[in-house]
Amino acid sequence: MSNATSFGRSLLADYRPAGSAYDEMVTPDGVLRPHWQAFVDAFEAMTGDVRQTAVETAARMLRENNVTYVAPGSGAGARPWRLDLLPLVIAPTEWAALEAGLIQRAELLNKVVADLYGPQHLLKVAGFPPGLVYGSPEFLVPCHGIEPRDGTFLHLLAFDLGRAPDGRWVVLSNRTQAPAGAGYALENRIITSRSLPDVFAATHVRRLASFFRGFGDHLLSLGNRDEHLAVVLSPGPGRESYFEHAFLGRYLGYPVVEGADLTVRASQLYLKTLEGLRPVDLVLRRIDSDECDALELKVDSEIGVAGLVEAARAGEVVIANALGSGVIENEAIMGFLPGLCRQMLGQELRLPNLDTWWCGDPVAWQHVRSRIDEVVVRRAFAARSLISSGTGGFLRPEFEGMDRDALIAMVERTPHQFVAQNRAHLSHAPSWSGDGSARAEPIMLRVFIAATKDGYQVMPGGLALSAPLESGSTRGDFGKDVWVPGEGSIDTFSMLNLSLNSPKLRRSDRDLPSRTGDDLFWLGRYLERAEGAVRMFRSLMTRLAGEGSVVSDEVALEHLTALLVSQERMSARRARRAAAGGAKAVEQELSSVLFDPDSPDGLALVLSNLRRTGEGLRERLSADTWRILEQLTEMPRRQWRARSVGDAIRQLNAMTEHLSAINGLIQENMTRGYGWRLLDLGRRIERARYYARLVRDIAVSGSANDGGVLHLLLELGDSAMTYRSRYKATPQLPAVLDLLLADESNPRSLAFQFDEIAEHLKDMPLERRGGPASSAQRVVIAVRSELQLADVEKLASVMTKIGRRTHLARLLDRVEEGADELSELITRTYFSHAAEHRVSGSGTLDGGT
Amino acid sequence: MIYDVNHITTFEYERRVSVSHQLLRLTPRSHPRQRVKSARILVEPAAAVRTSRKDYFANEVTYLTVQEPHSRLKIHANSRIEVDRGDDAYLDLSQNWEDVAAQLRAPRTLEGIDASQFCFASPYIDFDEAVLAYARQTLVPGMALLPAVMELTARVFTEFKYEGGVTDVWTPVSEVLENRKGVCQDFAHLQIACLRSVGLAARYVSGYLLTRPPEGQERLIGADASHAWLSVYCPGLGWVDVDPTNNLRPRDEHIALAWGRDYGDVSPTTGVIVGGGKHRVSVSVDVAPVDQ
Repeated sequence: MSNATSFGRSLLADYRPAGSAYDEMVTPDGVLRPHWQAFVDAFEAMTGDVRQTAVETAARMLRENNVTYVAPGSGAGARPWRLDLLPLVIAPTEWAALEAGLIQRAELLNKVVADLYGPQHLLKVAGFPPGLVYGSPEFLVPCHGIEPRDGTFLHLLAFDLGRAPDGRWVVLSNRTQAPAGAGYALENRIITSRSLPDVFAATHVRRLASFFRGFGDHLLSLGNRDEHLAVVLSPGPGRESYFEHAFLGRYLGYPVVEGADLTVRASQLYLKTLEGLRPVDLVLRRIDSDECDALELKVDSEIGVAGLVEAARAGEVVIANALGSGVIENEAIMGFLPGLCRQMLGQELRLPNLDTWWCGDPVAWQHVRSRIDEVVVRRAFAARSLISSGTGGFLRPEFEGMDRDALIAMVERTPHQFVAQNRAHLSHAPSWSGDGSARAEPIMLRVFIAATKDGYQVMPGGLALSAPLESGSTRGDFGKDVWVPGEGSIDTFSMLNLSLNSPKLRRSDRDLPSRTGDDLFWLGRYLERAEGAVRMFRSLMTRLAGEGSVVSDEVALEHLTALLVSQERMSARRARRAAAGGAKAVEQELSSVLFDPDSPDGLALVLSNLRRTGEGLRERLSADTWRILEQLTEMPRRQWRARSVGDAIRQLNAMTEHLSAINGLIQENMTRGYGWRLLDLGRRIERARYYARLVRDIAVSGSANDGGVLHLLLELGDSAMTYRSRYKATPQLPAVLDLLLADESNPRSLAFQFDEIAEHLKDMPLERRGGPASSAQRVVIAVRSELQLADVEKLASVMTKIGRRTHLARLLDRVEEGADELSELITRTYFSHAAEHRVSGSGTLDGGT
Repeated sequence: MIYDVNHITTFEYERRVSVSHQLLRLTPRSHPRQRVKSARILVEPAAAVRTSRKDYFANEVTYLTVQEPHSRLKIHANSRIEVDRGDDAYLDLSQNWEDVAAQLRAPRTLEGIDASQFCFASPYIDFDEAVLAYARQTLVPGMALLPAVMELTARVFTEFKYEGGVTDVWTPVSEVLENRKGVCQDFAHLQIACLRSVGLAARYVSGYLLTRPPEGQERLIGADASHAWLSVYCPGLGWVDVDPTNNLRPRDEHIALAWGRDYGDVSPTTGVIVGGGKHRVSVSVDVAPVDQ
């Protein structure tokens, strides 16, 4: 079947509802449900080519936006987010009923949490089982008595819904801790609507932006300062939903920070920025409550902020959701909700739960025990992640295959830790792999609700998860967009170009966290280090290939291997072994380590450092920069087996081009804020160190006057062309030294690096403008004047007694020291308050007699 | 008896600490047999921020932040406490332990609801089948609660070896049970785990103990240490303390500092610092009777 025909197939041609499950799109007798009509008409109107373009657009957007998901506990890294382009369409009237039910539920849950962390009437008066609270690992006693400034504990909630065969929606779980998925829902929407623009328009879909605006505006209004600062507190890259944290942060205009970026002083939460500490008003919490404060909560947590509970207690910061909100994110409470709703709201619970019995209640357990084969036993208080508890989590029993008596014995040992539930039902909806027609697959719907100034509001859409029907499939769930057709006019407000957090124009990155500044500084250093290493290896390879235009390559070869050792790109042992065997041996040694990802020699180490630093800065690099960085750092892994010298040279050339491209993009695209300055400072400092070492290793010892070595020096210093155009003669040492050390017009000279450093320091926040110079500025002044005053003839002269150019060596030592000193001063001035927290010995217990 | 307690904790750091957050539970609490006459905590260098409050279990907590760079932090808690001698006449009044466990599963009184929070696994105290099996050797059907608790206390005392340095605050109960050795905190955690595994309520008590000097010798200053024991809930009687490390029911030689579900709720000092490198802690506790 050709692509064109398969893409052009009718969506419905082979679509068959499966089994007794409710089908979202067609009735049992195969008739399309009316609210799908507009969608299906528009979709079927697309030609095969247009559909193919849509699939490709979606795939490209997923890739370019780096939409990823990390499956918790899988040990694997981030995997691409999987998106099924076919949305789930829900009828407006049905949606209205869902909305009302979910709002009621959010209000109820908020009241329950407020009571448990406050007066505890439920426990003391209302007969709520204590085991439900005290048996929950998420009831955090240090958080008891903390009243949120706005009285709201739950600012963002999510509910997982499934649909029973009779068409009723049933709530499968309540998410109150730090509900994930809203960002994925938004990303799904952006990609789906752009991939299927005509279908989207024809279906008249309600937009999501207003929901986020209402939520974001309300959060910001809770701050008690004129200039609010809100942050997204994330566990950092590599955690389950980091993509979403970064995405939400960007969308709402909040910096995405980790615990180490924050600090508490005098009960006030601060963000550590390059300018010092800035008070934080609001934390959108994306880490579990108990991980939030090593002082009062889990003492071995490394991702929280020491003192955050105290800051919350003092009322200086709003934390959304409030610390401890996970206390009701469990299966145990579900069976109690109808009663609680009558008691606390005086209303009947509108949206039913999946029937759930908490085994900690002796009567309920007796009831369930007798029909243990019909129900599904689950852990009551297990933490469940976004996807692993997706459709599979509801369709497959948690203790599958466990024998009946063992199951009963397990429950009876700690009954409060288990629930029994009726089997969950999920409806089916069409899923489309891109070509051919659609197939029916079970789906689960996650819906989001946020506190706004007008009370709780439901996101008009959500995140649907679908999985294939075959059991045992390892494909995992796909995300789908959820479309709710609007009845009136569609609110087309979009936040994409609007940053909520910046009512005023803001031109400097003063909220740049110190840790990010530190990473940018090191990105600059690693980029430069990689460039130097690539350049050295390329010079060596070129000579091995016999393509060098120099006279005495043997000497150059010797220098180069020595240089690789001193620049820590090759071990001394390997270099000795190679040098003993001549050019052929060097070639062999080199080709085996050059791109070897597991060797400490060669390029792997510097590239992996570069990659790691880049990953931490993923959100600050443009998509293009990231893509090139990714390609560059993956080159060795892909191609290190290419072992001929010619291959290696081609590869090294490609790397140089990639590095130039990255540098060009950074130069062209990054705003001239502190971040860019730190990156460039890192680069300049690294370059100064590299050149100081380079010149010292090659030119300090006696033999440096022959042309081959000087050519090498110019080549590695990327100044050969400049020299030729300026002197039009064979290189002479004094002239080469002048060009590489003192010539302020040569962007590769040492003097140039320090001029640039001086310029950057002038604009950094904690240096002096006018008045006495800062320590860093003093170092720069000293090094610059030494370089300016240097007499190149004298530098080039050899101390006959020891056969070394001692003046040159001294100057270069001074430059290298200066560069190291600068690096340390910058670290101390701007990043040191980012130093990690450490838990001190808490044990003072020695025992008794 | 009236005692003067001096509890000094000194942290020495390899490198200077720029910020130190400390959470202290070093102020003894009052209870029916114990009255705190005076209590204060001195910190060197001085704290920039200092607040005190009652925690969830009504222990006094002091939160402080030292913001001046330091390489040594000294925390000195000084208090004067009067302790009454208890009496054990009610020992045989207690009910069948199974009835107590049943009441705690569905408590009807405020006291029972409050006690029921100490029936569950907590961050430092988990229990498995081995713990349950160990508990069941003593807690057989039909036994009265307090005699059963005392027998369990005696078993922990005789069947476990007191040995410092083999465990730390993180050592799980199951490991202590298997290795049969540890210090007071391990024994308290173990016995609490046993009692909770059968549905009883038990809480962890941290405090001090007066060490009797050998006959005719001066009492050694600083020889005493922080101590830990446990308390069991007996409907009608309230909370009854037992000390498995010494196989006895505390009288007027035990001074309670704080109580909670486990060590984590009452740790005398918990700190998070910035900087510091390696550190050394030294603790000295001196409990001296005041001449009357």
